[in-house]
Amino acid sequence: MAAERSRNFKRIGLQFAFWAVLSLLLLTILQNFINISQTDQLSAYDDGWDDMSAFREDIKAMGVETKSLVSSPLLLADIEDPRNTTFIIAGVERDTLSFPQFDEDGFITIATEDGYSPSEVDAIVEFVGNGGTVIVLEDFGYAGSIGEAYGVRYSGYQLYDTNYVAELDYNYIWMCVQASPCGMNGTELDPATIEEHERWSSEVGEHPCAELDGQSMTLNEAGVCSHHWVKSAGDLGRIEYNATYTMLLNNVTGLEIVPGVRGALKDVNVRAITSNQATVDVNGDGELWVSNEQTSETPDLWGQFNLSIEACASTNCDPDEGGRVFFIADGSALINAIYDYEGFNAGEYGKTDKFIPANDNRKWALDVIAESLMSTIEGEEGQPAENAMVIFDESRHPQNALLADSYNTVYFLLVYFTGEGLAMLALFVVLFITFEAVLLKKRDPEPWRHVFSIIYYGFGDANRYTYYAKTEKIRQVFLSKVRNQNGLTVEEFHAMSAKELVGLIQDPVLAKFAIEPGKYSLEQSVALVKRIKAWGRR
Amino acid sequence: MWTRKASFTFTGGIALILIGMMITNNQMMILGLTLITFIVVNSWVSGHGDIEVQRTLSADNLYKGDDLYVELLVTNRSNRRTQLLDVYDNIPHEMKLRSGLNQMRLNLRPGESARIRYVLRCPLRGHYSIGPVSLRVRNTFNLGVEDMYVDHHSDIVIFPQIKEVEEAFLRSRTPKMYTGATTLRTPGQGSEFYSLREYVPGDPFKNINWKAFARTGDLMVNEKCRDAVTDLYILLDSRDVARIGTVLKNPLEMGTVSAASLAAFFLKRRDSVALGIYGDGLAYLPPDTGDKQYFKILSSLAGVKPEGSMPLQAVTNSLSGRFSRGSPVFVISSCEGDGTVPAAVRDLVGRGHEVTVLSPSSIDFERLVSRIPRMSYEVLKLERQNRLTTLAGSGAQVIDWMPDMDLSQAIMQVRGF
Repeated sequence: MAAERSRNFKRIGLQFAFWAVLSLLLLTILQNFINISQTDQLSAYDDGWDDMSAFREDIKAMGVETKSLVSSPLLLADIEDPRNTTFIIAGVERDTLSFPQFDEDGFITIATEDGYSPSEVDAIVEFVGNGGTVIVLEDFGYAGSIGEAYGVRYSGYQLYDTNYVAELDYNYIWMCVQASPCGMNGTELDPATIEEHERWSSEVGEHPCAELDGQSMTLNEAGVCSHHWVKSAGDLGRIEYNATYTMLLNNVTGLEIVPGVRGALKDVNVRAITSNQATVDVNGDGELWVSNEQTSETPDLWGQFNLSIEACASTNCDPDEGGRVFFIADGSALINAIYDYEGFNAGEYGKTDKFIPANDNRKWALDVIAESLMSTIEGEEGQPAENAMVIFDESRHPQNALLADSYNTVYFLLVYFTGEGLAMLALFVVLFITFEAVLLKKRDPEPWRHVFSIIYYGFGDANRYTYYAKTEKIRQVFLSKVRNQNGLTVEEFHAMSAKELVGLIQDPVLAKFAIEPGKYSLEQSVALVKRIKAWGRR
Repeated sequence: MWTRKASFTFTGGIALILIGMMITNNQMMILGLTLITFIVVNSWVSGHGDIEVQRTLSADNLYKGDDLYVELLVTNRSNRRTQLLDVYDNIPHEMKLRSGLNQMRLNLRPGESARIRYVLRCPLRGHYSIGPVSLRVRNTFNLGVEDMYVDHHSDIVIFPQIKEVEEAFLRSRTPKMYTGATTLRTPGQGSEFYSLREYVPGDPFKNINWKAFARTGDLMVNEKCRDAVTDLYILLDSRDVARIGTVLKNPLEMGTVSAASLAAFFLKRRDSVALGIYGDGLAYLPPDTGDKQYFKILSSLAGVKPEGSMPLQAVTNSLSGRFSRGSPVFVISSCEGDGTVPAAVRDLVGRGHEVTVLSPSSIDFERLVSRIPRMSYEVLKLERQNRLTTLAGSGAQVIDWMPDMDLSQAIMQVRGF
């Protein structure tokens, strides 16, 4: 009893331990995916100061369709017209999972995820390869894997520059999109150091809005170049294109072109750099210790760093000749507070005591969109292409509600498991096993049927059968019969002599059997029993 | 609960959607979605088990082997249709369905009723309960099933069979002792007229002789002769050894039949009958007459189970003080495995009781279910004969009751050994 109880305790304990470990593992895995954020930022569909609703509204106003991608960039493979689609990644705030993959040689490789799984990166690369445009706005998050695909690396450390906005703080720096760095004149940017965009101002790769420069048209006719439209008289106005871009960034990191690595696009160019006196806080202690050589005493770096890199399929970066990827070293470059600084300063996004200076972030962003999505059909200059679409990647933004985050996660898993090789195989195996389980285990409730059952056998003690076949037992039974037949008590019977007993029995064979114990064969015993049975009837 | 069909449809739907997504096949996805939608919509259209059940039995008490007529009235109490509803009346497995079915598939409108009728054969004595009523609610396409039950029970007692033994008692030596109720020429409770006397307060009105009152003008009442009845004691062996044999033929079953038949016979003659059942313990029903006693005896016999190993001597030691002097005692026992039987019988005979031992031959019952070697069987039989001879020698009338023998036949074979 005690042993059984102990076994029960062990069994229950083992089961409890198993489920506890399983739950912990599941929780650990889920924690990686369901990561409810306290802040809801960088979303094109929210209108907080740190969201990007103003940018999306501007795109919509151009007549371009906007969409969000909440599951996985694997869906980019389903885009019908990548040439006229722009994919915007603003802040990759969480990592992903991925199964091991088959590489080109057929071997299984295990990837270290960094924001996007290898298949997702492949999907993005394929999208770009088909003429798509990608803008990657990222600083300290998980955009490493995308960068690597194009031979670009995010340093991941905070960068400080002397070109910072004095009225704000040193976290806000100026990025001039030009070949050489711009400089400061006191606390202001020196206008003399501001130059034009290296490609958009040149003859090779000129910005399409530049072709409309000086032309008189209505705002509607300006289309994707409407942000360059300046009203002149009545409904008419004039396109005034200017290729200088002084962009305001906040909390930036550095970008570098990985030496010796050939990315998916052959033409990789730096579009913006810091001043020569920029520093990078490598150890993240908030203090800058630099020297000519990086040592443990002076771990931080100083010099000139890249802030924007552009990777194109061709030298002129023509969308018709292949896709482009724009890397900016700041995830918040297009947030409402900076992008729509006028509205922010006017308090449209909430009361503020900060004053964001005028910047060209909006102009730069809309010029990228204009270059990517302007129709190439003659006579439609300035108008968006027929299938023009901008997709915002929301799949790597943690949501601040459990339901929303769970929805995103489930959607992600669904797309992932139906879009990636080994995951598809795993899903197929799971489906197969589930089908088998249903086939084998699922039973309909048994039909009711009355079963009449009164089968019952009461067995006697079968062990006594051999005992009753023994000579001694037969003799005992016979003597009892003799005693009963003659009406004798047990005492009287025991007091009798052998001679008297023989006289009572009156059968020499039985008398001998009664008096002389001996061994009898089976046949003899049978004969004796028959004789005993018949005895006394005479 | 989902049925197998529903599970297949669901997993099939999911599989189609996922595989459709894998191979980017919209038709496949739509088909999968259709299957899932079918399941979802079907789950909205479900039945219910809100019904009222009423069971009517042809009798609450039956004799073993009789038929029981059962009628189940099922009424939908809800304002909705029941949809497909399986109704199953749970009946004990010891009862045989003779005609009709104890289940039905219904689809009742609100307030509608249906009747389920069936007949049960009750081949075993005992206390039984019919019910509960199981319900199985199915939705239209048999995709979902829900089991429930209505806790409605009907209790029933199956008495042992009563065998006709009067003829046997007339023809055998045994009944000469028991002549039933005889009148004594003294006033008292009885059946025959004794005399007329004047009414005294307290006399029951039914005894007033109205003719005499009309004739004399005085209230006169009838006085009856006092009936003398015989107290008869039946001791039934329900020890564990009494179970040897088949479900219908074993010493205990035959014992209960004989006890019930003897009790019926003697109670019919207005004798007082007492019943002692010993096995695990002793259950004693003091002597009494009438239908009530008859019912009590049958109820007791209906619930007898083979268990325990109480010796007969312990029973007689406990009860013999309560036995009326010279009253007959019936001992119904196989006498197997109880060495105290001869002493107990001798003791009863010594006290002046007419003892009759009705002994089902347990070795022959055992032979029905076990293959006993011939020689062992013969020796066992010889030993049993010795035991019965000893009992006969003690002054008891002994009946060796074989399995294939009727009770009346057995009684007629009374002999002194």
